[in-house]
Formats: sequence, C-alpha cells, structure tokens
Amino acid sequence: MKTVTKSFLRYLPRRRALSLLQLLGIACGVAAAVGMAFSARVALSSFTQAVAFLQGQGTHSLERPAGPMEETLLIRLSREEAVSAFAPVIDRRIRLDNGDAFRLLGIDPFLDRTLRPALARHFLRDPSAPRSERNLAFFSDERAILLDSRLAEEIRVKVGDLLPTSRGPLRVVGLFPNPSSEPLILMDIGHAQKLFGLEGRIDRVDLRVTDEAAFRSRWSLGFKIQSVLQRRASLNDMLRAFRLNLQALSLLALFVGLFLVYHTAMFAVVSRRRDAGILRSLGATRREIVFAFLTEISILGAMGGLLGGIGGYFLSRLLVSLMAGTISNLYFFLQPLTPEWSGGIFLQGLGLGILASLLGSLFPLAELTRIDPIQALAGRIPHRSGKAKAQNAARVGFGVLGLSALLVAFSSFHVYVGFVACFALLLGASLFSGGVLWLSAPLMKRFLGALGALPGKVAAGNLRQNLLRVAVAVAAFMVALSLTIGLGSMIDSFRQSIHWWMESQLQGDLYIGKIGETEVPEDFYEEIRSIPGLGGVDTYRSVQILYQGTPIFVSAVDASVLAQFTRFGWLNGGNENWQAVKKGAVIISESFARRFGVKAGDRLILDGVKGPVALEIAAAFYDYTSEHGVVMMDRSTYLRVFEDRTLNVIGVFLRPGDPRAPQLLDEVRRRAVERGLPVFTRAQLYGNILSLFDSTFAVTRSMRLLTVLVAFLGITGALLTLYLERQKEWGIYRALGFSAGQVGRMTLMEGLGMGIVSFLLSLPVGTALAILLIRVINLRSFNWTVFYSFSWEPYLLGGATAILASLGAALYPIWRVHRTYPQMQIREE
Amino acid sequence: MSAMIRTVDLWKEYDPSERSPSPALRGLNLEVQSGEVVALYGKSGSGKTTLLNLLAGLDHPTRGKIEIGGQDLASLGEEGRTMLRRRRLGFVFQFFNLLPTLTVFENVFLSLELIGRLEPERAIQALEAVGLAGKEGRFPHQLSGGEQQRVAIARAIVKEPALILADEPTGNLDTSTSEEILRLLTRRCREKGTTLLMATHSPLTCRYADRMLRMMDGRIVEGPALEAAP
Repeated sequence: MKTVTKSFLRYLPRRRALSLLQLLGIACGVAAAVGMAFSARVALSSFTQAVAFLQGQGTHSLERPAGPMEETLLIRLSREEAVSAFAPVIDRRIRLDNGDAFRLLGIDPFLDRTLRPALARHFLRDPSAPRSERNLAFFSDERAILLDSRLAEEIRVKVGDLLPTSRGPLRVVGLFPNPSSEPLILMDIGHAQKLFGLEGRIDRVDLRVTDEAAFRSRWSLGFKIQSVLQRRASLNDMLRAFRLNLQALSLLALFVGLFLVYHTAMFAVVSRRRDAGILRSLGATRREIVFAFLTEISILGAMGGLLGGIGGYFLSRLLVSLMAGTISNLYFFLQPLTPEWSGGIFLQGLGLGILASLLGSLFPLAELTRIDPIQALAGRIPHRSGKAKAQNAARVGFGVLGLSALLVAFSSFHVYVGFVACFALLLGASLFSGGVLWLSAPLMKRFLGALGALPGKVAAGNLRQNLLRVAVAVAAFMVALSLTIGLGSMIDSFRQSIHWWMESQLQGDLYIGKIGETEVPEDFYEEIRSIPGLGGVDTYRSVQILYQGTPIFVSAVDASVLAQFTRFGWLNGGNENWQAVKKGAVIISESFARRFGVKAGDRLILDGVKGPVALEIAAAFYDYTSEHGVVMMDRSTYLRVFEDRTLNVIGVFLRPGDPRAPQLLDEVRRRAVERGLPVFTRAQLYGNILSLFDSTFAVTRSMRLLTVLVAFLGITGALLTLYLERQKEWGIYRALGFSAGQVGRMTLMEGLGMGIVSFLLSLPVGTALAILLIRVINLRSFNWTVFYSFSWEPYLLGGATAILASLGAALYPIWRVHRTYPQMQIREE
Repeated sequence: MSAMIRTVDLWKEYDPSERSPSPALRGLNLEVQSGEVVALYGKSGSGKTTLLNLLAGLDHPTRGKIEIGGQDLASLGEEGRTMLRRRRLGFVFQFFNLLPTLTVFENVFLSLELIGRLEPERAIQALEAVGLAGKEGRFPHQLSGGEQQRVAIARAIVKEPALILADEPTGNLDTSTSEEILRLLTRRCREKGTTLLMATHSPLTCRYADRMLRMMDGRIVEGPALEAAP
C-alpha cells in the first residue's frame, strides 16, 4: 500500500470513536434504506405468493358482481365445454376468541384436488389418525376444520381440540402445511355454507378455462370473470398507493443516509486538508491524494454498508410485521414469512454503502482537488471563504426551492413528481443551513452567552468559525426534524380529517355487525326496524366490484335514514343530494371522482347482475374509507342492480333528546347479542377506526425515529470532529484559565446551538413539507383531500428531540474533554 | 556556478481587489547560485514565507518571473511544478508538518516513494545522519520538537534534492537545539552541494549561511548585516 494512502487510512484506527460514529452513521443510513426496501419486497411478495397459492392451477374465477351466487349454476358449469375443471369456494373470515380474524375457505375436496393439488395433497393427511377416520371426520362432522399447521402452532391448538370462534366452536380434525403467508382454515363447503348461513349459495368458483373467448361469450352477463393475471393485477392495484408510500419512505431513508455519508466524507476531507497540503508540498499529485481519500471513504463505506446490510435485515424483520399489519388492516389478511437472510442483502448493503459514500464525497472531493496547498497547510478554510460558500449554497438553495415549487405545479402528472418536489424542498432548505448559521451568529452569541456565560460566547464563535462543517450537520439534523414535524403534522391533520369525517357520516347510536366478518340477517334488520320508538335503522352493505377493470367499492345505504340523521361533507351541494339518491342516482366519494375523472351530473356504468346499468351521479362527498373509490347508492337501487340482499352492518339512530334512549338501546343490544352479532356504540366505532388509522402509520413512525437516530449520530460526529480538530485550542483555553467544566460547557453549548438552529430551520421546512404531503402527495396517492389543521404536538416533539439529541450528542465529546483534560497540549499533534 | 534560483520583478498581492493593496512582495529580484547556503533574514510579515511558497510553486505570483534551476515555474504548469517539488525540492517548515499518522520511518520513506525509489535503507541512512537511529517506529507525537524537525530534515535530504527551502527551521526550537539543527542542515547541504535557502528572523541562523539577504516590506534591501529581529 502506498504511503500516501496509508497516511489517510491510519486515521481510521487513530480516531476510533469518530470512525465508529461515521461507520454507524453510514450503517444506519444504509440499514434504513435496505431495511425499508427489503421489508417492502418481502411483505409484497408474501402478498402475491398468498394470492398465487390460493389460485393454484386455476386460470379464472367466476363470481357475481356483488355478493354470493346460487350453487345451481355448478350444474351449468359442469356442462360447459370451455371449462376443464372447476371448484366452488366459500371465502369468508372468521374471528377467533382471541380477537384475530382468519380466512376460512369452504371447499369441495374432490373438485378442489384438480385445481389446488398442493393443498389437496395434504388436507386429508394426518399421520396420527387412521386414514378412514380422518376422511370421515372431515365430511361427517359439521364443525370439522383443517388448520394451517403454522397457525395451529401459533395459537397452540392441536388435532382434536375445539377452537372457539365468533360462530361457535370448531373441531380441529387435521393440520396441513401452508407454504403461503396467509393463515388458512379449511372446511367442507357444505358445512361452511351452513356455518355462514349460505345454504344453496357459494361465493366464487375457481376454474380452469380452455377457451376464454367462448367462455366469456356465454358467461359474461351477470358475472364477474377474472383471469389469474387480471385478479393479480387488480389485487396489486389495491396495493398501489401502499407500495408507492413504501418506496417513498425507502428513498427518504436513503436521502437522510446520504446526507450522513456526505457529512462523513466532508469531515474526512476537512480533517485531511492539512495532510493533503503537506503531501502536496512534498510533491504528491492531486490524483494521488484523491486516490488515498477515495480509498479511505470506500473502505468506510464498504464497512458501513456491510454493517448496514446486517442492520437492514434485522430492521426488515420488524418492519415486515408492521407492514403486514397495515396490509391486513386495509386490504388482505397477511402473516408474512420471516425475511430470510441472503447474501444479496449483504451485497446490497455493501453496494449502497460504497455508492452512497462515493456520491456523498463528490463535493468534498471536488473541494479537495481544488485545494490550495498554502490554505491546506493552514489546516482550515478561512473565515471569509466559509461565509462565501454559505452564500453560494444559499443561492443554489433558492434555485432548488424554485425547482421544488415548479415541480409542485406539475405534480398532477404523476405522484413521483410530487415526491421529487418534497426531496427538492428538503435539499433546497438544507442548503440554507450555512447562511442561517451565519446570520444567526450574533443572536446565538447573545443567547448562548446568557445561557453558558463565557463558554457559551466562545461556543457561538466556534460555530461561526467552523461554519461549513457545522452547516452540514445542521442540515442533516434539520432534515430529520423537518421529517418529524412534516410527517407528524400530516398524520395529525389526517387524524383530524378522519374525526370530522366520522362525525359527519357516522352518527348512529349503535352499529351492529362488522364488515368482512359477520353478516346481519335480513330478518334481524326487519325485527329491529319494528321496535317502536327508534328514529331510523340504516342498512349498510359494502362490496368490492370491478369498475373499468379496476377494483372499487359499492356501498348500499338507506338514503332516507342518512338524509335525516347525518351531515355528509359534500363537495357540491348539501343534504338535498339524498333526494336524487332515493330516486336511483348514486353519490361518489372524492377518491372515485378524482380517480376516474367524473363529477356530479355524469353517468357511470356498473356491471349488474342483469348486465350493464347506467347510473346518474348526484354528488360527490369527502370520504376516507377507500382510496380506490366508493359508489354509494340506496339499498333499493343496489338490490335492483346486484340482487344481493346481504347486509354487513345496520346502524341504529335515535331521535335527538329521546328520553327513552337508554332503554331502546338496551333492547337493540339485547336482541343483537341473542343473535351472536357484534354491537358497537358510536364511541367504540370511532375508537376502532382511529386505532386502525394509527396502526397504518406504524411504519411511518418507525421511519421517523430512524431518521432522528441517523441525524443524532451526525450531530455527535460533528461535535466530536470539532473537538478533535481543536485539541490544540483546548490547551489554549486551559492555559487561559478555563476549567474542565467550562470546556465541557463550551461543547454542550455548541451542541445546543446546532440543535436550536436546526430546529428553527425545521419549523418552516417541516410545515411546508406537511402541506406538500397533504396537498400533493396524499391527494395524488390516495385521491382524497386531507384538511391541514395545526397541531402543537409535532413541533413540541421536534423541539424536544432537537434539544435532547443535541445535548445527548455532546455527552461523548464532553466525556473526552474530561478524560483528556490534564493531558491537553498546546503543541501540534 | 549557475543560478539555482532567479526571480525577476516578483510581486504578490493576496487580495488585489482591495482599494489600497499592500503587496507581500514588491518587485523582488533575487539570484541564488547552485550549492549556496543563503539566509533570508527579516521581521515577521516581511514576505519571507510568501517568497518561499512562491519558489516552491505552492503559490502563484501576481506578476514577475521565477526560475528554478533555469526552468520558468510559470511555464511548467501544475503538474510540472508538482514534479519539481517531488524530485528537485526539499521543504523544511517551522512547524515540522510531519504526517501524524505515519511513523518516523514512513514520513521519510514517503519522499522516496513519491520519486519511485523504494529503497528503505536510504531512509534509514537519512535518519542515522540526523541522529534518529532507533526511533524509526515512533510517531511524531512521541518525539520532541527538535526530533520532529530532524525528521523533517531527513525527509527533505533523503531524496538528495537540488534545492532545500527552509522556512524558519528553528523558529520553534530552543537555542541549543536550533544550533544542532542548523549545523546538521547546512553541513549536509554543503556535503551534497545542495542549495539551501533559509527564511529566518533569527541572527543565529544567519551565522550558518554563506550569504545573508535582508528582507523588508516585500523587497530585498541593502543594509547592516544583522539586527535584532523580534
């Protein structure tokens, strides 16, 4: 190894603590990016794997546009020439006593064997029981189920046990291995029909079609036919916004990580500047110095990358479960497989670490190549140069902010443009850090002087003197704090919007039933309606259908009841819109209107059970139930179009001020409990919705934490570097009569100063980011309007993080000051 | 004897944009012959270091001409000046400027490595010549100031350059150590016929020189041979 390179590399072990911090910084940045990307991939592939597993060797699925269908059509299907195999399915959810809901498939084992041989091969095999007994139990016992072995292990159930569920106890007669990531319970289709009250009806038929055109020509009227690809595409479409969000979070993690790497590279350049000057005076070429520096930064990047790869893997294990929770809550029940370690993650981390390090070192490297040996021998950038560079950076910052504004104007083209605008905002704002530090120096001197006396004043001067290196640390910390404020404000505003939405739409006193799990028998609805004294009983049915080939939701409600008891947030008009709904028109959610570019007065065509039906759009309303779009209609219209009498929920409304309210509600509750139906008060329903909302932001929150950690390491690194660079100065302070405590306080004040400037900068940037996330990203990703509402919490959290992190970051340098204080020397190293 | 250093009307202004510029060098003319040991004597701020930096090609003159060994520095270009420093020039600084992460041996060997002569025994010999035998494995911070300057001298002489520029080589040392260092440096240069230009504000240094040039306000001036410099 050449001595020039060696002279640079020796700094790594020589300044162990700083190298470790730099290494951790790169590792954290890489871990965040790798962890997020890897977990997103695992969660999403678990999802597609689960879909593929259940599809088996089927090529298509056949179902009614909405609701179950009569099983008599199986006879017609058995005579269908274009179909070589088919298997009817009851596809429902069942809630266990522990509160978890799982997918229960009612299947015909014999018909299913052709389409899902992987499943059929196992489902009747239980090595512990004689074959005939197993078969017999599955077919003869109405409560017999086969349980996914992973699920059985998780809930600690074995063959022969009774499994308590919301629909009574089920007997486990066997276990089967389930390679898919979705937990499954299997039941004989006849027993499942009985269990869910679907006698004579089935949810779906999976098919192997040999002649698609011929099949469609005979079956398209009144049925929804989807090929495997279409089904997968529509399921993927469901996850589009979610996936986009994860990608954005991965990029964000990389962005902050890159900042830190840049930070690391810049410190390396700054602390090698004098050595570079010596080397140049001895005749080393710029090329040799650049090579030595690149070697150093690449080694640091590679080590940090490897460490980050390992960290990213462990992080992904945590994130996958959070993501799966979100996917399960919003789209599809999923229990993802634990991410498996692979050399690829290692390589990914390594590549990212080196690439980010090289990318992050571009500007510092340019500075190193331009370096004047005379200046370099002085060891520092002169005061004026720091100011000039800060001014130049601020000018570029203005340009980048302008670009961000321009991108916002063009964000209607694609949400990615909005994301780039957000990144440009953060980047542009970060370029102002030097200028803000410079401008705030007099105020900072006064403030830190008042707080820390003489050490405080000296600390303020040190910050200004070391403007460039401090500016990068401040920028990184500012980005992290802006993310905290921006994401926090966005989440709080969203929560407020959800509150407003609930209070406008969900005004029922009691809600009976739960979407996706239970159905409310129609006779029960009639029974409740007949109770004298109730203000109104709304019927609610929500079903996913295909509109123009993409999944949307149709909701059937009782327009007369909602007109009387709710105050929807309308995009146009008011409650008079219900009049048109009563007459057969529909209202659409804002997400539907934006997604399909339709408005009040337009007509939309839905595939009904008797073919396409044109429906007039009466109005659009604000809604946050589905980003895919909701078409709401009166139950009478729904029955006419889909002939589906299923009810998911009924809402009971009392007249305001009714003195008999408690007795009436008790009566309704008693009758629902008698039928085994879940009952929720309005407050409980709100609570459920908000906890669901909060769980969907778990990943975002963890990301926020990670960025703060990364920035914290950045600040610690900055303080430690300042400390190391000025060991000589400490000696001078000591000679002047400063005590160890005063020197320590100086470092503390420097940390605090950096934290305060970072926080002050993050206030407008975080607010602007929140507005961008709300007005651009949310609107483009989910097609719904979130109303910005100011909340103190994110700002207080940001402020507390800034102060605590900057003080915490100063602890190690202070410890070093105390430890080395007696040995501090004025002479050169 | 041919001229090793020749400057003609050399000017250096650090900030030419200033309204009333105060150049560090004001039309300086100088000629030093090969093998000469010259002391450049003057107060702080008289322009000594500026001149040395210009002669080493570390800085650019505002105007004027510099020739080293008959080569015009301006015509050499950046790469050429680097090669000149690498092969023909040795530099000794007041604050030693050793690389803190390299051992004593590595600091000296670095000069050889840069010119492509990977001969460790030469580095050892250079260290022996400056009286540092046995301290090859130490790091600069483990040495005294005098020892560090000896390493810097070994680093400069090991490649046997035609010219050594020494900027206040004893400015940071006590008198007895200064004498040792000056003796060592001048003896070695005389033995090898190396030209030595020492910038100093110490009359002591001048005693070891063949010739003394007095610098004042950016010019070389005639005047009394020595005066007490601050």
